[in-house]
Amino acid sequence: MKSESEIIDVKTLPFTANFIWATGFMMQRFIEELASRKILGVKCPGCGYTYVPPRSRCGKCYAKIEEENLVTLSGKGTLVSYTTGHVALDGQGNFIDLQEPAIIGAIKLEDADSTIFMPIEGIEPRDVVEGLKVELQWREETKGELEDIRCFKPA
Amino acid sequence: MIRRVAIVGYAQSHHQHNMQKTREDMVFEVCKEALHHAGILREDLDTVITASTDFLDGRTISSVFLSMAVGAFLKDESKVEEDGTFALYYALMRILAGTHDVALVEAHTQGSTLNPHQVSFYTLDPLFDRQVGVLNDVAAAGLQARMYMNRHSVSEEHLAKVAVKNIANAAENPCAHRQMPDVSLEDVMSSKLYYDPIRELTMSPISDGACALILASEEKAREITDKPVWIEGVGSCQDPYLRDRNIQNLDSLKSAANTAYKMAGVKEPLSDLDVAEVSEKFAHEELMIYEALGLCQEGQGKNLVESGTTRRNGEMPVNPSGGALGADPVCATGLIRVIEAAKQVRGEAGAYQVPNVRRALAHGQFGICAQKNTVYILGGNGS
Repeated sequence: MKSESEIIDVKTLPFTANFIWATGFMMQRFIEELASRKILGVKCPGCGYTYVPPRSRCGKCYAKIEEENLVTLSGKGTLVSYTTGHVALDGQGNFIDLQEPAIIGAIKLEDADSTIFMPIEGIEPRDVVEGLKVELQWREETKGELEDIRCFKPA
Repeated sequence: MIRRVAIVGYAQSHHQHNMQKTREDMVFEVCKEALHHAGILREDLDTVITASTDFLDGRTISSVFLSMAVGAFLKDESKVEEDGTFALYYALMRILAGTHDVALVEAHTQGSTLNPHQVSFYTLDPLFDRQVGVLNDVAAAGLQARMYMNRHSVSEEHLAKVAVKNIANAAENPCAHRQMPDVSLEDVMSSKLYYDPIRELTMSPISDGACALILASEEKAREITDKPVWIEGVGSCQDPYLRDRNIQNLDSLKSAANTAYKMAGVKEPLSDLDVAEVSEKFAHEELMIYEALGLCQEGQGKNLVESGTTRRNGEMPVNPSGGALGADPVCATGLIRVIEAAKQVRGEAGAYQVPNVRRALAHGQFGICAQKNTVYILGGNGS
């Protein structure tokens, strides 16, 4: 059998898919409201579960969720778990070693039931503990884009 | 069940990092070997069900080019996405429906085509989590492990003990990818750190591999073999998406296990089962799986590995074949567990045979933080 370096690999086909997804009404509102530094969630009228980002149908009790069920969240929350990444994927299937480890937090926002997963900055990995109070960091100029929410920092 | 259905033959590849074979050759070889193992011909098959994932295969409608390799030329054939245990479920239903009697079930992945962890990123919510861009299955496993460890005072050493147990077991299994007979706690705890506490040796390897099994109705099974392995119970369930579930518990696995137990009449899993083959993609998951399967109380998983209960010679061996930490050809991994459990029931597991197995459990999973789970209870003629 040939050694691995002698095998001819068929590389990628010249194909780039530019997917365009419909965001739906709720997600559109969520993204638009970022411009005015608001984090929107929805409180399910059926079971009271609060989703963030918002959605139009409860996945737990199947109640229809309407515009009137939108709630504004504070952007403050609690760290329920954390991990320090020493690598990151490069989009091509390779794990790249990071020069500086990057912390990822699992965050419960005040008054929300969903957990969101965002970068944590402004703290050393060894100082991160469960229960840490964190606060959303906004981009200096908010434009109504997902990039407006950058990361969380200790509150 | 309305009809009894049995596993009557099986085969798997020698899983490895890069097999240097076409997908079709790899799949053809295991299907041919499974037919041979059952002692039947391609002409005896009524239906063929395969499992893979288009992103992992690097092509869409990915079974199109496989129909001949799986023996389905001009036959009834269908495919499911994701784990092979879901394909087995589909084949089981076809036989239970009475419309088919003999099925071949095949599953495969060549991890060398595209890193499966990269593919895991494409399973995330494209409107939010993919835009944020920090998560993948390994990062999520790090978050899950930390949460579980904090909740139940589990140390990194407990995770390393799971890894040593399974990787050492894998060294007795010629089909396993990792062949590290002398693996030590130090080796595991000093292996490359990915997403704390997940290290190279507390996560499954990226493998190429395939497997196939033959399923038959009771009447056909008795014609084919005097050692049928009966499917006594099955259950399948899924958790919500990552944001809206409690990742420190495997609730859907618990539900799937309870369904399978009820069907099979399993009341006390620890004493009623003789061996379990589970899909632990990360070491901490095996501890969580013990708890979800009811082998111990919540939070007590670490005790089963500390006490040696789940070692190959323990009271309740888990993954004597090495499990997913021994080899992980993603979509094949769960179906390999079924095959390994069937081998134990038939006494065909060679160097890692557990004595006197009457009843075995097999578990397959798919999705970030084990979102979907399927459990099978298998039994021999005497069970």
